[in-house]
Amino acid sequence: MRHFIRLIRPYIVWAVVMIIIPLLLIVLYSVTTGGNDLVNIQFTLNNFKKMTEPIYVAVFVKSFQLGLLSVGICLVIGYILAYLITIFSEKVQNLLILFVTIPMWINTLLRTYAWICLLSDNGIINSILGVFGMEPMSMMYTDFAVIIGLVSDLLPFMVIPIHTSLCKIDQSLLEASMDLGANRFQTFWRVTFKLSIPGVLNGIIMTFLLSISTFVIPKLLGGGQYMLIGNLIENQFISVGDWNFGSAISVILAFIILIAITSMKQIDKEEAEEE
Amino acid sequence: MRRNKWKKWVSLMTGLAMTAGLLAGCGGSSKPTLKVYSCGEYIDTSLLGEFEREYNCKVIYETFDSNESMYTKLQSGERYDVLVPSDYMIERLMKEDRLQPVDWTLLSNAEGLDAEILGKEFDPDNTYSVPYFYGTVGILYDTTVVDAADLEDGWELLRNTKYANDIYMYDSERDSFMIALKALGYSMNTTNTDEIDQAYQWLIEQRDTMKPVYAGDDVIDNMISGNKAMAVVYSGDAAYIMSENEDLEYFAPEEGTNVWQDAMVITSDCTEIQLAHDYINFMLDAEHAYANTVEVGYTSPVTEARSRAAQQDFAGISAYLPETTGENNEVFRYQEQNIREYFADLWTKVKASN
Repeated sequence: MRHFIRLIRPYIVWAVVMIIIPLLLIVLYSVTTGGNDLVNIQFTLNNFKKMTEPIYVAVFVKSFQLGLLSVGICLVIGYILAYLITIFSEKVQNLLILFVTIPMWINTLLRTYAWICLLSDNGIINSILGVFGMEPMSMMYTDFAVIIGLVSDLLPFMVIPIHTSLCKIDQSLLEASMDLGANRFQTFWRVTFKLSIPGVLNGIIMTFLLSISTFVIPKLLGGGQYMLIGNLIENQFISVGDWNFGSAISVILAFIILIAITSMKQIDKEEAEEE
Repeated sequence: MRRNKWKKWVSLMTGLAMTAGLLAGCGGSSKPTLKVYSCGEYIDTSLLGEFEREYNCKVIYETFDSNESMYTKLQSGERYDVLVPSDYMIERLMKEDRLQPVDWTLLSNAEGLDAEILGKEFDPDNTYSVPYFYGTVGILYDTTVVDAADLEDGWELLRNTKYANDIYMYDSERDSFMIALKALGYSMNTTNTDEIDQAYQWLIEQRDTMKPVYAGDDVIDNMISGNKAMAVVYSGDAAYIMSENEDLEYFAPEEGTNVWQDAMVITSDCTEIQLAHDYINFMLDAEHAYANTVEVGYTSPVTEARSRAAQQDFAGISAYLPETTGENNEVFRYQEQNIREYFADLWTKVKASN
């Protein structure tokens, strides 16, 4: 393999230019003031201090609650879906996984607009309710709308890793478990679920990452007053023009995500050692 | 900034088609190219093709959703020839030397402009700017829901708890603070932090008691369908919405409002100066100005186009000819950086508070 080592050089250049330099710039912006020009900068920690104001802390808390709730819903629906898919023959499974991924071929923005068409006060759902003589419901600009948008967007990222783990389980283990007197529930819980934990953790990490940093979905389905971390960052960069504060929020978010992933990986490792 | 979703798709598609055309045109003739950056849904897009044919050029037409995001894009180094920002942003661009003077002798159609609209405080001699649309900010309300007597409240109508959960605010920093400052009887261009803090409290209390939705363009479709009792809108959007839903009426409170103007300006790094003037002149042509104003509902500063639209297309729609002369009305002015940051910080808090 050693002769191919040169081939990674372009990737190193790519990573430096596209990932490392921008990251360093974000960190630099986050600890300075002096606007966007980087000409007359001064070092300061005020950007981080500002984050401790209750209003911003509340934004973080809300983002986490919403993120975790979306991940939880994705986990329940995603696990059931992935489990049901494994029941079919391999050919059918491939087809079903294809169906799960088809929505990802369409841009998130379009899918979110489709939700607006469905959920808005005079949208499709309310029109159908109207036909049956029911009162229209106000669904747009609520937590419900944002969560439904997030869950539908993130579900494939949960289903695919779980499905992959479930597929790898050796059928003879399940037979052995049954032979040894475990009932179906015990077999599921103590064998199938245990063995699918790596997939579950991967799914949780993926969906959590995406849900915590999202801004398009809450903006469109939650309205302008719906503020999550992603919206707060976007706002600082696009309309307020305070790149320093925006960078500070990004750094804090990156740090929190790092901690979350590390602890998830730790759980994964402990699980592996237990076996 | 404004208009319904279907039109958004159409303009997106036109944009794509133009990009495709641009790529295809790369190998062939080198036509002069004009880059125009304007508010979304602010033009009858068929005029762009007409202009391209008439002047044998390419127009790259891009849109922004707020003056602030336009500024961010400029700051990031994007280059444009013609911009269509609002008054206060023009003043800021002027102060930062990002614009070049307009040569009025090249604008043969300029005489059609209403002299009343020219010479506003942000650019007193119209050295840099040529008016494109103008109007006011006001409250669009559903006459079947809102009690006419409540209109006496002026801007405080937006805090009348009878209509809690039933209003749209406009997701714009300066316009939201304008409402609060005017309701409190202050100037919307104040630099007094006490007054600004009071306005901030006004907005926070409004958020707590009224639970408004800070809407963007979606307010247009939503008000046409009569989803909520009232909405803060620009007069031009109000004119369009009222032409689609006759239960609605528009009023700008007597406490004063923002009389705004969006104007065409030429950037200092524009290279196609003649073509830029041709473009501005083309938009001032009465026929073209009429096409634009009918398409988007905003009030044209071109007298002939405006009176024709007011008589034919927007007959009986008060918002098309907004009252701009009220003594408490003001035009947004340039803000010094510290005041701008002060407002921006408070606005973030208004939106982030739950």
